[in-house]
Amino acid sequence: MKKKRVLSIVLSVMLVSAMFAFTGCGNGSGSGANGELNIFTWTEYVPEAVIDKFEEEYDIKVNWTTFSSNEDMLAKVRAEADGTYDIVQPSDYMVEQMIAQDMLMELDYDIIDNLDNIGEGYLNPSYDPGNVYSVPYQGGVAAIGVNTDEIDLEITSYADLFDESLKGQLVVLDDYRAVIGMAARSMGYSMNETDEDVLSEIEEKLLTLKDNIKVYDSDSPKSSLISGDCTVAYCWSAEIALAQEENPAIEIVFPEEGPYVFMDNWAVLKGAKNSENAMKFIKFMLEPENAQMVSEEFPYLNANEKGVELMGEDFINNEAKNPPSSVIASGEYVSNLDTDTLAIYDEMWTKLKR
Amino acid sequence: MTKHKFKAKTLPALSMVGPVTIWLLVFVAAPLIYVLVMSFCGIDQFYNVSYHFTLTNYKRLLNADYVNIYGHSLIIALATTLICILIAYPFAYIIARTKSKKKSLLYMLVIIPFWTNSLIRIYGWRSLLGTSGWINTFLMNIHLIDEPIDFLYKQGTTIFGMVYCLFPFMVLPLYTAIEKLDNSLLEASADLGAKGPKTFFNVILPLTSGGIFSGSIMVFIPCLGYFFVADILGGGNSDVIGNLVERQFQSGNNWPLGAALSIILILVTLILVKIYQKLGGDMDSLGV
Repeated sequence: MKKKRVLSIVLSVMLVSAMFAFTGCGNGSGSGANGELNIFTWTEYVPEAVIDKFEEEYDIKVNWTTFSSNEDMLAKVRAEADGTYDIVQPSDYMVEQMIAQDMLMELDYDIIDNLDNIGEGYLNPSYDPGNVYSVPYQGGVAAIGVNTDEIDLEITSYADLFDESLKGQLVVLDDYRAVIGMAARSMGYSMNETDEDVLSEIEEKLLTLKDNIKVYDSDSPKSSLISGDCTVAYCWSAEIALAQEENPAIEIVFPEEGPYVFMDNWAVLKGAKNSENAMKFIKFMLEPENAQMVSEEFPYLNANEKGVELMGEDFINNEAKNPPSSVIASGEYVSNLDTDTLAIYDEMWTKLKR
Repeated sequence: MTKHKFKAKTLPALSMVGPVTIWLLVFVAAPLIYVLVMSFCGIDQFYNVSYHFTLTNYKRLLNADYVNIYGHSLIIALATTLICILIAYPFAYIIARTKSKKKSLLYMLVIIPFWTNSLIRIYGWRSLLGTSGWINTFLMNIHLIDEPIDFLYKQGTTIFGMVYCLFPFMVLPLYTAIEKLDNSLLEASADLGAKGPKTFFNVILPLTSGGIFSGSIMVFIPCLGYFFVADILGGGNSDVIGNLVERQFQSGNNWPLGAALSIILILVTLILVKIYQKLGGDMDSLGV
């Protein structure tokens, strides 16, 4: 009898303290004094320390979710109720697509008063003229990595990747717009050609690349370059930067034709519940010291010029980590194609891979 | 009267079968029907599924390049299944018939790989087989070869990875079938003067063919869909049907076409299961 009473007291104490613990949690970090913010970003792209710093500085609780492809992001934003996410991080062509579908909110430049930290070359992009809906974050260039210990051929352009001496040497991005676009640029065409005659010309050229490609890999193309399985890579500049750290013989080449360029951006969704906090967040991310924290952890091409200036000589002079602005200016973004043209691209890709 | 009957018979039955039926309807039938419906839809200018009837997706399935990939995929699946049978049969036979106390340990060896995600194990093979991987380094160090062997990114590598991943699915049904084998039949065969090979082909093989069939089904079907093996070990050079489906749902952004492609997979599966049933296969041993 007594035993039972002791037990029940212990249990009730535990229950009550648990409740206190919960409410305590609610007052502490559950939600900030200035409300919440729901952000939806790429995986491995935004440092956790930066988010923590934002929470502390603004007293806003951040709920953070990640995605691994633009299409994945779009599907989730559509499937969830309005207001689930406030901020998203779409790439160039996806910004264009989301604007066309009326999914993005105009940015409030009264709050975001530091857009001029972004380098001139990244402002006013073709996918969002006037940066009405988006602010550039980080991006990259599809460059060429060459293991100079193994390759004597002097590679200066995308066209050189088609050279017969490179048989079975290439690792390329497993991305049909990237590879077909590269073939197109090597011939002087745009990555976004829609003319059927031009496309069949591109297809002919593309298929001559087949024997040179050893592996298609978007996840970690640097691995094949580092391990020596491949000696030439067509992949993101940041991947080449990481490969160089393992093997100094690897050199980066920016193609003469001008590279395929991508840029990821901050944008606010139309149904956002915390739009004001979202604007504050973008302002925060634009601050140079925060951009610097980003570059230190994820060395992609950083659009924040003032932030890059803080990075020191090693970073600034490393072309793979910090591609020259002339290269970016000569490059081209992928844009959205109509579904019929896309079907032709899909056919070309299937032919290459079969 | 009918009310009474309902209470006595139908209600208990409903309460037992009901939840399972609802589960199956919601989580199995509904998604499959959705895929079927989607495969007849088109996409709008923003690549969203637009619900109007069209046969375009099925027309595109007949594209020669696609058909070529189906062919390759079937060859990969067939080769994988045959290799699995050849390796798994003796293996399962030894585990099932051994009198040793190590029997359960041997059985465990088949199960253990399941403890690690197959994706990770496949990545492991990639670093083992690379030109500067352990296997090449070892072979070069013992001076068996001078130049590293190019193992990776070939159709053969894809088949190797498939065999590696799906081997246990062949062993387990074979083990069950061989375990059930009645020893007195083997003794009878020996008494009647049959030698080893004769007993094997006339007695053991027919009696365990059920295991071979169900093992084959469980290996062949995933083979058509395991796109990650083709991606990681095949390097994208030996795509299977699963890669086509994955591409349309991801970068291709054409879900209806992806749905139509997965209908092909479902059809192949149904046909194989039907053949299996016709041959007298036991549905229970498939785990369905």
